Amino acid sequence: MKKVKNVYKSKKLIRVFLEYNERSRTIHAIKITGDFFIYPEESIEKLEGSLVGSKLERDIIRQRIDVALKNSEVFGFDNESITEAILGCVNDR
Amino acid sequence: MSIKFDKIRVIETGYNSAAWNMALDEVLMGIVNDTPILRLYGWRPPAVSIGYFQSLEEEVDLESCKKIGINVVRRVTGGGAVLHDAELTYSFITRRYPQSIIESYKWICDAIIMGIKGLGFDASFAPLNDIVVDGRKVSGNAQTRKNGVLLQHGTLLLNVDIEKMFSVLKVPSEKLKDKMVQSAKERVTDLRRSFEEVAEAVKQGFGKKFSAELIAYDISPDEKIAVGNLAKEKYSKPEWTGQR
Repeated sequence: MKKVKNVYKSKKLIRVFLEYNERSRTIHAIKITGDFFIYPEESIEKLEGSLVGSKLERDIIRQRIDVALKNSEVFGFDNESITEAILGCVNDR
Repeated sequence: MSIKFDKIRVIETGYNSAAWNMALDEVLMGIVNDTPILRLYGWRPPAVSIGYFQSLEEEVDLESCKKIGINVVRRVTGGGAVLHDAELTYSFITRRYPQSIIESYKWICDAIIMGIKGLGFDASFAPLNDIVVDGRKVSGNAQTRKNGVLLQHGTLLLNVDIEKMFSVLKVPSEKLKDKMVQSAKERVTDLRRSFEEVAEAVKQGFGKKFSAELIAYDISPDEKIAVGNLAKEKYSKPEWTGQR
């Protein structure tokens, strides 16, 4: 497992802490932190949980984010920027 | 927004620890009825609160906090890290509120703005969650909604100390620190009024905004015990504060 982090500036600052399998390029664990707002707050755990097991591929990640945040209101980033923040951990923009 | 209240219960809890302050907000969310609650308070010792989604380790210089006796607590609300020192903090807890998040921030901030305008400040709302005086931030606000109850809490800076703020909050790079301090000094301002004076103005603002009678209120002895327990079992615990 490789541990990496990325700081990404959207409207608010997003920090992504990522643990992934280098060989299969799948997410083992992920934490997304920052000074943003998500309503309801528990959506962040839902989002992180939905990304575990995901391949580090743009379309797959974006789709999982779209589904996880479908019923949430987010202030400080959009689904595109959180995708970029995650992929930035592996310099795969 | 046409929501009005006949009465607002006002609880003034003075200065307390960070864990106790956050615990009381949570307890008030559990006991609020149709009459909203306005709470006014301060922090002793001074404290850093971090937003619900923030990383404790990345945002706060824990060693500096320990050295100068500053509490650290995680809020239930999002947003950024705040040093609570020379300021007035308010919480507004209500079961009736605009469903739109942006609208509800403005709705409550308007009451604060009315209050400080009464002190002669040219205050206005800066979406999503700030109040500015002459274009500079004087108040940051954050809200959560749980089980049909809205809690919004926020700060009103009385005497801001930017250097102290940056001594306890981590910056992305030490090289940028001076620049960030300078930029914060340009973007942030304070009221330079006493706690009591601003507290009175805020109360007047809420009364005026909601055409409500203000009723002095205190929690019961049992509720005080519940606050103490929650402070001890949740907000003082590293499992809560260091969870992200």
